Amino acid sequence: MYRLIISHETRSLARTGALWAILALLVFAIGFAAFAGGRAITRQAKGAADAVAFENGERAKMRQDTEAYAAEVAASGGTYEFATVNHVPGRGPPQGTNAGVVGAETAAYVVLPPTGLAALSIGQSDVQLNYLPASMGTTLDMIKNLETENPVNLQTGPFDIAFVVIFLLPIFILAMTYDLLSSEKERGTLAMILAHPVSLRELMASKIVARAAVILAVVVGFGLLALLSVGTQLDQAETWVRFALWIIATLLYSLFWFSLAVLVNVYGRSSATNGTILAGIWLILVVVVPTLVSLLATTLYPAPSRMDLIVAAREAQTAGEKNMGSALDRFYSEHMDQVPTGDQRAMDFLTLAQANAANIEKALLPLYEQFREQSLHQEGLVQRFQYLSPAIMMQLALNEISGTSTARYQDFLDQAFRFRSQWNDFFASRFLKREPLRPADYDQFPSFSYVPESLTTVLGRLATSLAGLLLVCAGVTLLPFVGLRRYQVAAR
Amino acid sequence: MIATIARKEFLEIVRDGRFKWTAALMVLLLVTALLAGWQRFNSYSQIQATAQGSTNTQWLKQGDKNPHTAAHYGNYAFKPLGPLAFFDSGIVNYAGTAVFMEAHKQNFAIARPATDTSAVARFGELNGAMILQVLLPLLIIFLGFTAFSGERETGTLRQLMSMGVSRGSLLWGKAAGIAAAVLLVVLPCLAVGALALAATGLQTAGGGIWTRVALIGGAYLGYAAVFLFLTLAVSAWAKTARTALMALVGFWAFTAFIMPKTAAEVSRLVEPSPAFGTFMAEMKEHQKRGIDGISPRIKLAQYRGELFRKYGVSRVQDLPVYWTAVSMQKLEELDHPVFEQHYNAVRDEYARQLRLQDRLGLLAPLLPLRSISMTLAGTDLIQHNRFMAETEVFRRNMVLKMNTYLSQAAANLNGVNSATNYMIANEDVFAIVPPFRYEPPALRDVIASQAGNFTLLAGWLLATIVLALVAVKRMSLERN
Repeated sequence: MYRLIISHETRSLARTGALWAILALLVFAIGFAAFAGGRAITRQAKGAADAVAFENGERAKMRQDTEAYAAEVAASGGTYEFATVNHVPGRGPPQGTNAGVVGAETAAYVVLPPTGLAALSIGQSDVQLNYLPASMGTTLDMIKNLETENPVNLQTGPFDIAFVVIFLLPIFILAMTYDLLSSEKERGTLAMILAHPVSLRELMASKIVARAAVILAVVVGFGLLALLSVGTQLDQAETWVRFALWIIATLLYSLFWFSLAVLVNVYGRSSATNGTILAGIWLILVVVVPTLVSLLATTLYPAPSRMDLIVAAREAQTAGEKNMGSALDRFYSEHMDQVPTGDQRAMDFLTLAQANAANIEKALLPLYEQFREQSLHQEGLVQRFQYLSPAIMMQLALNEISGTSTARYQDFLDQAFRFRSQWNDFFASRFLKREPLRPADYDQFPSFSYVPESLTTVLGRLATSLAGLLLVCAGVTLLPFVGLRRYQVAAR
Repeated sequence: MIATIARKEFLEIVRDGRFKWTAALMVLLLVTALLAGWQRFNSYSQIQATAQGSTNTQWLKQGDKNPHTAAHYGNYAFKPLGPLAFFDSGIVNYAGTAVFMEAHKQNFAIARPATDTSAVARFGELNGAMILQVLLPLLIIFLGFTAFSGERETGTLRQLMSMGVSRGSLLWGKAAGIAAAVLLVVLPCLAVGALALAATGLQTAGGGIWTRVALIGGAYLGYAAVFLFLTLAVSAWAKTARTALMALVGFWAFTAFIMPKTAAEVSRLVEPSPAFGTFMAEMKEHQKRGIDGISPRIKLAQYRGELFRKYGVSRVQDLPVYWTAVSMQKLEELDHPVFEQHYNAVRDEYARQLRLQDRLGLLAPLLPLRSISMTLAGTDLIQHNRFMAETEVFRRNMVLKMNTYLSQAAANLNGVNSATNYMIANEDVFAIVPPFRYEPPALRDVIASQAGNFTLLAGWLLATIVLALVAVKRMSLERN
């Protein structure tokens, strides 16, 4: 019986223009979103690559100078010496022999590599800079820059596949299901159908299966195509595990909306009323609740103002400068090229500058910690309140699956900060000992390699959102099947 | 006759239980949004004013030092907001609120509030503008989609027409009735907003705050009317109430959610802008190369030659100006066109992206309204760009003043570098740089910049009225 109804439903669906229009829109949206997401990730990757290439180029030039100098020293039989800081090239050892210059003037960019699915959910990756310069400055210098992007576009948000799934897919699902029973009832065909040996539940289930099969086939099929076209690291198992999770989340989310339509239909109002109610619920769950939760999070745990942080940083800087020796040192710290050769006191400015940076950092870290603390509080609140809306659960889940979540970025920041101190220590120790950098030393520079989070960690963070989706789904699915018992078949 | 119809329509809507629920929800959200916006605006303005005051003092009290070193210490400009930001925060959360103004470098705005919020903030901010842009149209659709289609289904439409009502007055009457019901919900909330505005912002507001309010109000009224007449047109045209609802909700989702993002992506595609890393690498390369391919180092040497000739000397020591300061100022002037070219290119790209998005308002009335609202609230891209341009003017002036002072005061130090005779300036010298003051653009210019968007919105209104008139003229009275 099921098969008969399903095949009938499928055939009658196939003959309605609405279905094809909806599917065409869905396919177009997925295609456009994949294209846009792919472009966004490519742009980011190019930004990172250009930054790395530029800084590496600067260091490569310094290395070439030291090689030429080493050859010259070897030929003339002199000693390989440490250069004083001097920007105007002249005779003597090149700047590349001075670890302080190399460490302070060139930055090593640490890069957060995107996961294979990054293009599917841009998440927060458009407001977080995914490549940070490690140099001998402070930790805060490292994170002061932002990814440049039109603020109008940031405010609007990306048209990525996560948007299609979270916002549009429910609309398409509801458009196909809001009049599931009510239309048959209004046409008077429902009583006729039920005169046949078929129960209301069977009918309902078949109708849903027919529609769900069509929509989900499109979503999974074109989702896969999207992954194949704009996904990366397709040869890695992890990408496919993430994609499987993506599909699971999407199925659960779709199931929720299908069930919701059934639930509203079971109450047996007119098609127009069902449509109004479902559109209202969509609005509340996808727009109103998330913005309210966001408002609550930022009102209860407002981040301290970055403006205050800036003022405090300058306060610390001024205080630090007062301990920094003579005004001349300060001048030299800004203009290393004017440090007179052989002036040992002037030579010490970099040491002082370093001490100063360390002081500023020490003064600012407690303030910076407040940002992280408030951000953790906010995340915690969102984690607790996500159960109010499947859209929030879905957003958290998709960002987590695609590796564009706040948590993954925080982990990257921790790694980046550790690398910065490693980088700093390497050059500072050599500089303080006035140990000349030789060409071979350039191979010894610390290099950053991102340690990816284990899938277990990701799954752990994902679990709450997925479990929440599952629970909400189960609830909404079971309710209508109880309610169907009292459904009034004939139109009043 | 129109008044009678309007009265009947209004009463029917207001007595409906669904209206009470939606109205209650709407009022609750709007009041919450306005109060939250009010609180945010106050806290932002307070922090901004305090921070600007503090850094201005820090500039003066930075301790005695070389004037050029003082220029390196620099100052910050914090972006002030007009009071209407409480209603429409525009791009404030994403644009950056502080600019570091220092020697040798032009900088992007930093301190973007969005950095410190959770991902859920990307669903959008609940503010007055968002509610009127997104939720209000849906309220109108809900109240109006049965206006004709419902009467046709219940058979009262034919009855009504048999009483000699003209189709035109039926349309106007229904429009007036629904509008009255909508205003019943929205007006009290907006009165609350106006009170909040009167209570806070007036002392910080530039001229013409109420002109701004009136124009914003007019634009939103026009936008609401577009949806009202569209709803009536579709209701008259559609065979059944549910078809009308589907079509209207579809259009609403299209204009409120799909089009803004589509427009943003299309504008990015047509006018791509570089990522941070790309931008910086290209600019630094260009800086090293020199604006015209002659490196600043060569130009500096030439400049020294010119100075020697000008003063008839052959050694730096004999120059009557301090070469270090003069050369740094020269470098500043050599870098400046490079900065301007690159930073302006990005700003122009953003402005062109926005213009393109505005033009796509031909497809969605939200887009022109969004720009009008942000611009009149002073939270838009154009005014952000203007703020950035003003910080650059300030930065150049600050550096110029410090370098010029140093070039004259330290002329006797040419060729001498020693801790004992070193030019030190104090607070009095730093005070020759007047504090940063942002002058928002004149209201006239702000309004003029939105002429296109006002025209688009008026076009939408006209088109939907004509559409409604035509649909009502051709409306069939029977179910079929």
